[in-house]
Amino acid sequence: MKEKTTTKTTYQIPIGPVHPALKEPVMFEFEIDGERIVDVDVSLGQVHRTVEWTGMQRNPIQILYLAERICGICSYCHPAAFTRAVENVLDIEVPERAGYLRVIQGELERICSHLLWAGVAAHEIGFDSVLYLTWQMREKAMDLTEYLTGNRVTKAIMAIGGVRRDITKDMLPTVNETLDYFKDNFEKLRHVFLDDKTVRIRSQGCGVLTKKDALKLCAVGPTTRASGVKKDVRVDQGYFAYGDLDVDYVTPDVITGEINGDVYDRIIVRLLEVKQSVELIEQCIDKMPAGDITSEPKIPKLLAKIKKTAGEGIGRHEAPRGEVIHYVKFDGKNENPYTWKVRAPTYNNILPWIPMLKGEQIADIPIVAASTDPCMSCTNRVAVVHKNKKTMLDKEELHRLSIEKTRRLTR
Amino acid sequence: MAKGLPKSFKKALWVYHCNSGSCNGCDIEIIAALCPRYDVERFGIRLVGSPRHADVLLITGPVTRQMEDKVKRIYEQMPDPKAVICVGNCGNTGDVFYESYNLVGPVDNVIPVDIHVIGCPPRPEAIINAVVKAWVKLETLEAKK
Amino acid sequence: MTKEKKLSPEQIVKSFKDEFKTEIKDTRIEKRKSGSKKNEYVNIWMRADKSVFKNVIKHLMVLQEYPHLAVTSGSDMGKTIELIYHFSIYYGNRNQEVSLNIAVEVPKSNPTIETVSDLIPGAVITEREKQEMLGVKIKGIPDNRRVFLPDDFPEGVYPWRKDETGPKKMVRNLHEVKK
Repeated sequence: MKEKTTTKTTYQIPIGPVHPALKEPVMFEFEIDGERIVDVDVSLGQVHRTVEWTGMQRNPIQILYLAERICGICSYCHPAAFTRAVENVLDIEVPERAGYLRVIQGELERICSHLLWAGVAAHEIGFDSVLYLTWQMREKAMDLTEYLTGNRVTKAIMAIGGVRRDITKDMLPTVNETLDYFKDNFEKLRHVFLDDKTVRIRSQGCGVLTKKDALKLCAVGPTTRASGVKKDVRVDQGYFAYGDLDVDYVTPDVITGEINGDVYDRIIVRLLEVKQSVELIEQCIDKMPAGDITSEPKIPKLLAKIKKTAGEGIGRHEAPRGEVIHYVKFDGKNENPYTWKVRAPTYNNILPWIPMLKGEQIADIPIVAASTDPCMSCTNRVAVVHKNKKTMLDKEELHRLSIEKTRRLTR
Repeated sequence: MAKGLPKSFKKALWVYHCNSGSCNGCDIEIIAALCPRYDVERFGIRLVGSPRHADVLLITGPVTRQMEDKVKRIYEQMPDPKAVICVGNCGNTGDVFYESYNLVGPVDNVIPVDIHVIGCPPRPEAIINAVVKAWVKLETLEAKK
Repeated sequence: MTKEKKLSPEQIVKSFKDEFKTEIKDTRIEKRKSGSKKNEYVNIWMRADKSVFKNVIKHLMVLQEYPHLAVTSGSDMGKTIELIYHFSIYYGNRNQEVSLNIAVEVPKSNPTIETVSDLIPGAVITEREKQEMLGVKIKGIPDNRRVFLPDDFPEGVYPWRKDETGPKKMVRNLHEVKK
């Protein structure tokens, strides 16, 4: 805890490492004046599982399975960025069909992740029925994932040089059926979130991140696109098959005509991205060329090639939460990488919490923190230190404060 | 349910979920078990926000050094009779993280575990099966008194 | 923000070399293709001397007002520690982004480097991570605390180093059976 001289009216609240809005342990410390937040301090580290150090002891094929378990919600984007980095080092050419298959899997994961987030955000405002509605829709996408890859969450579909499983012609009717379901229900989802008066009151004007702050703090993903900054690795660098497809930056002025950078804008960006993902999958299915699905199916040959190559490479991918970047360096003598660096998108989105939360009320903490979609696990409690007394506000209390505010506003 | 046992937990079983450093895959499947597709709330199983109200503890993740004492404190705050379910491969054996400098070990090393659910992540049906087994165990413990 | 004239990769390298002459070494431009239409994307790598590092970053900010710092990676190269700053510039228009990677070497006998967080505030967390993982001291950093490692982790143990200060004695194998 920082030593700060507290005046008569400010007191400090440490929150964490278990917190209602976040999925991972993260520790906040707020300095509060009455009900308003004056200053924020964030500390991480509770989920440090030494992935990078462990990865340096293993060969690249084992690292693929390790990378998947860095995060369960975006479990496709870490192997995707890692294979891009390794392919950069070895200068492997990926077959075209594999590029399209990779796009389909990535966009399917984006749909699952954004619907998950929509449910969690609604839960923080107090609409539990919307949580059930969106997660019910998400189950359809999970069924499709299971049909295409064999598992709901950890898919193991990436291989260095391509993908492991193909989408054959007889699988297409199921895929089209799921896409039709999403197209039919998108209007319902949009109506629930964007036309509702309570959602608007709770989220408009709340948790604002200005464009300049987003640029200076290097924010990524929907958080920064909602503030008007056009950053999207899929459009900036046409990797996999994105260069052939019709993809554009998604900013909130498509629906509202103006950009405020508040929580409402982030909701708009994520819902529009779900629509964009459905369209991208359709385009891929139309344009997919025939061919191999991987350039090197024999793994021992691949490992022998890696053992002889020295070099370094980076791989970037647009995960549902932002840009993921992996850096890999091989020294030419072992097949284990000499260095492996992973940067998940949430680490760049943590510093923007500070300008977003200053000036807000305590009851808004869950929805503002959840609006950046942090890929972190929930933690437990908030401790309120008032002068010399310490009272514990636990997860229920903070969530209750958030719901009570909603009730007050709807009266 | 087992026959002949008095039904102390007949109407409801309250569950508390703690994440000790996992990747969230198991946590998502736990929450998916509450949603309309699998819907455990019709059995009276519900997720609570404080360990002091809970009967069953669901732990996920290999325990990191930072979270070790917090896991112990949560276990001590739960009132008796209680059951602990360890969900996912990480908490049971370490899975892919078997060698590292920041992990204290499988959850067994920190608190006593009653039921192990394996899978990476286990399907929601497996988690519901585990909670039912915990229910039977708690009923048995109550009957012994 | 995209009102600056966009330079081609060769022109970017030339502008750095003109400004800093021999302090920029080992530059290479990699172009890779993907997809059916064979779209190209560009990675530029260069190595800068520690003494001109801050000026190199300032020169970069002339090319792009707010360069995007993705992350900094670090490797233990024996006698030196190599830090690579991964930037990307010219985002905002389709297929025009260029990835720029600037490597700096610091000797292990004096592992200090200046901070860039006064120019790019978003660099604070990644610089703190290098301090605790590799033992690099960053001068002028606004926040000196640990980021990922627990507070009771011993001082002087740097997890990414491959020499005697590595984490070997802290490693536990979770699969071993306790007797």
